[in-house]
Amino acid sequence: MRAGNIERVKRKALREAVAENLDTIRGLPPRSLRPAHRTLRAFLRRAPLLIIPLMLAGFAYLTSSSVPAAATVKVPVQSLPSQPVQRASVVTPAPALLTDSLQTVSASAFPLSVRRVVLDAGHGGTDPGASSTSNVSEKDITLDIEQRLGTMLRKNGFEVVSTRGDDRLIPLRERAHLANSSKSDIFVSIHVNSIPQGNNHGVETYYLGPTNDPSLTQLAAKENLTSGYALADLRKLLDRVYADVRRDESQRLASVVQHQLFSGLRGVDPGLENWGVKRAPFIVLVATDMPAILAEVGCLSNEREAEMLRSSAYREQIAQALFHGINAYARANDAPQRKGT
Amino acid sequence: MSNESEILHVGIDLGTSRSAISASNGERFVVDSFVGWPADMVARKVLKRDVLIGHEAVANRTMLDLHRPLERGLLKEGSDKDVEAVRELLKHLLRLVGVSSNGKIDSSNVRAVVGVPAASLRTNKQYLRNSMKGIVDSLMIVSEPFAVAYGLNALLHTMIIDIGAGTTDFCVMKGRYPGEEDQRTLTNAGDSLDTQLLKLIEERYPQANVTIFMVREWKEKHSFVGEPPSRVLVTAPVKGVPTELDITNEMRAACETLVPPTIETMLDLLSRVEPEFQERVRNNVILSGGGGLIRNLSSTLEAALKQVGGGKVTHMRDPVFVGSDGGLALALDAPDEDWEKLTA
Ligand SMILES: Nc1ncnc2c1ncn2[C@@H]1O[C@H](COP(=O)(O)OP(=O)(O)O)[C@@H](O)[C@H]1O
Ligand SMILES: [Mg+2]
Ligand SMILES: [Zn+2]
Repeated sequence: MRAGNIERVKRKALREAVAENLDTIRGLPPRSLRPAHRTLRAFLRRAPLLIIPLMLAGFAYLTSSSVPAAATVKVPVQSLPSQPVQRASVVTPAPALLTDSLQTVSASAFPLSVRRVVLDAGHGGTDPGASSTSNVSEKDITLDIEQRLGTMLRKNGFEVVSTRGDDRLIPLRERAHLANSSKSDIFVSIHVNSIPQGNNHGVETYYLGPTNDPSLTQLAAKENLTSGYALADLRKLLDRVYADVRRDESQRLASVVQHQLFSGLRGVDPGLENWGVKRAPFIVLVATDMPAILAEVGCLSNEREAEMLRSSAYREQIAQALFHGINAYARANDAPQRKGT
Repeated sequence: MSNESEILHVGIDLGTSRSAISASNGERFVVDSFVGWPADMVARKVLKRDVLIGHEAVANRTMLDLHRPLERGLLKEGSDKDVEAVRELLKHLLRLVGVSSNGKIDSSNVRAVVGVPAASLRTNKQYLRNSMKGIVDSLMIVSEPFAVAYGLNALLHTMIIDIGAGTTDFCVMKGRYPGEEDQRTLTNAGDSLDTQLLKLIEERYPQANVTIFMVREWKEKHSFVGEPPSRVLVTAPVKGVPTELDITNEMRAACETLVPPTIETMLDLLSRVEPEFQERVRNNVILSGGGGLIRNLSSTLEAALKQVGGGKVTHMRDPVFVGSDGGLALALDAPDEDWEKLTA
């Protein structure tokens, strides 16, 4: 082909490319779609009007700072209704193991691969965590459930390490340090959710990992407030953990616990939703050496559920569900190990 | 306001895995098409950045909410994050060639031609244009194979087969700006090959610890179809111990998954060319994109062309800047009066 010819073809193609772009600017549909598809055309004309507000809304949402909703609410330390646990009143959801009928046994009697469990009651002291309009705060509920769960685990041959035994603020860093130095096998952090929008409620269990979901990022930011870590340490922690070898184990633990939580609590609370197992970067999960999960066992923002969480019977039920999850995980871990030894 | 002499023309190739820029000031850069935002508050403080781009984003991927905005050849509608990712990627490429708010070249003096995967133009031209609004003064979006063809002066009686990561784009050039009937897109491309190769290796060596990133590197070194040029030996940890694995057969099988769909689409597009021009098109098939570097692929496609009378397939030895150079050529050739109408 002669050079002049090439130039002519190039000019023509370029003119057409420009024309296509001008059509797009004017809101005209692609040439090949004209004029047959009128509805599509009408849609394409309006599309920019729809898209721009959507983009702006999305952008505003993403850039809005994640103000922790709960941290600013100061609630007087109000102890929960403290009637003694009435075992008989607890509706037991056909558990694999009846916790209340068993004698306390020594941990060393079992060659369990999961023997020592760290229980972490979320928040405490000056950090109340989430709170409801009816004056219950997360820190009190988590501590109560943690103590009930601890009792059940001990009765069944586990050793229990608590990150806080009372209403104190322990930085997340210290909690992790305690967990790691105690050479425990798993780490279970107990929290109660608060969902600002909507009135639904559910349970969810987290293990460590990055997340794509901006709302989970906000939740993690909220739970990470009292970290106590210097930035230099965080870099190391993150490097180690975001590509984590413990992730599979943590995920497995999270799955069984979530399963037990949901199936155990749905019976008493039919409106409860299963929000499933999720990944999010919570610091307590980052800094611990063992498989670690964080369970959001309820929702204080839901009035009805806040009411239920005030009842010790319901908290006992939550503790039971957590126990069944941990126990199931430990059992599954033991099964193959027995053969080997 | 813009003084004629300060105007910068750029051609940008927005690829599914790599994006390149060629600028009229002589600068050329390529980056991985990855954009990541710190996954949480902690990661943001550690990384000390609001957004990371390119290989930096890949290197820190575990701490990021990572996006490949055109991953499957389309800009997902309704995904604000993908729109933001495209914008960040464009701004980053522009900064690399010296465009910035405080640098010597102001973005209000930039005219850009952006080549995108053909499928994204076919389905959401308007969305794409809106997504890139306000980044440069004037903007022209074209299909990537067109930019390649323009840059190679191959606008007449040629077929471009661009095997990228997310998509393989086919385009027959008939002396005009290609329309829908001239183009095809397959998702059989570099990424699908990687997935396939990983699966085959895992089947053969269930104990080996292999990631998709390792697989991609092996592929880029050893890809081939047909007779193996040599045995493909790689090293991967097996139960923690670095071990040599022979993956010759797996490499071949995975690479050859691209062959049938590529041949089928090539022959189908050919059959739609006016009969008197078919022979010329058959003799002007151009393989571009990273996947075009697979050894023996051009001869395999030529063998397929024999069934229909024979032809010639050539591949670009250095495909990285072919698209962005073509875009720059378009930008420089477009007359001023057109650019004035193409405000972004
Ligand atoms: N030598 C090679 N053999 C096979 N595939 C390759 C080779 N080099 C690069 N690739 C692959 O090509 C793809 C990238 O090609 P590219 O044209 O840059 O894609 P895109 O334009 O879609 O970003 C990736 O999947 C990459 O792994
Ligand atoms: Mg490309
Ligand atoms: Zn909490």
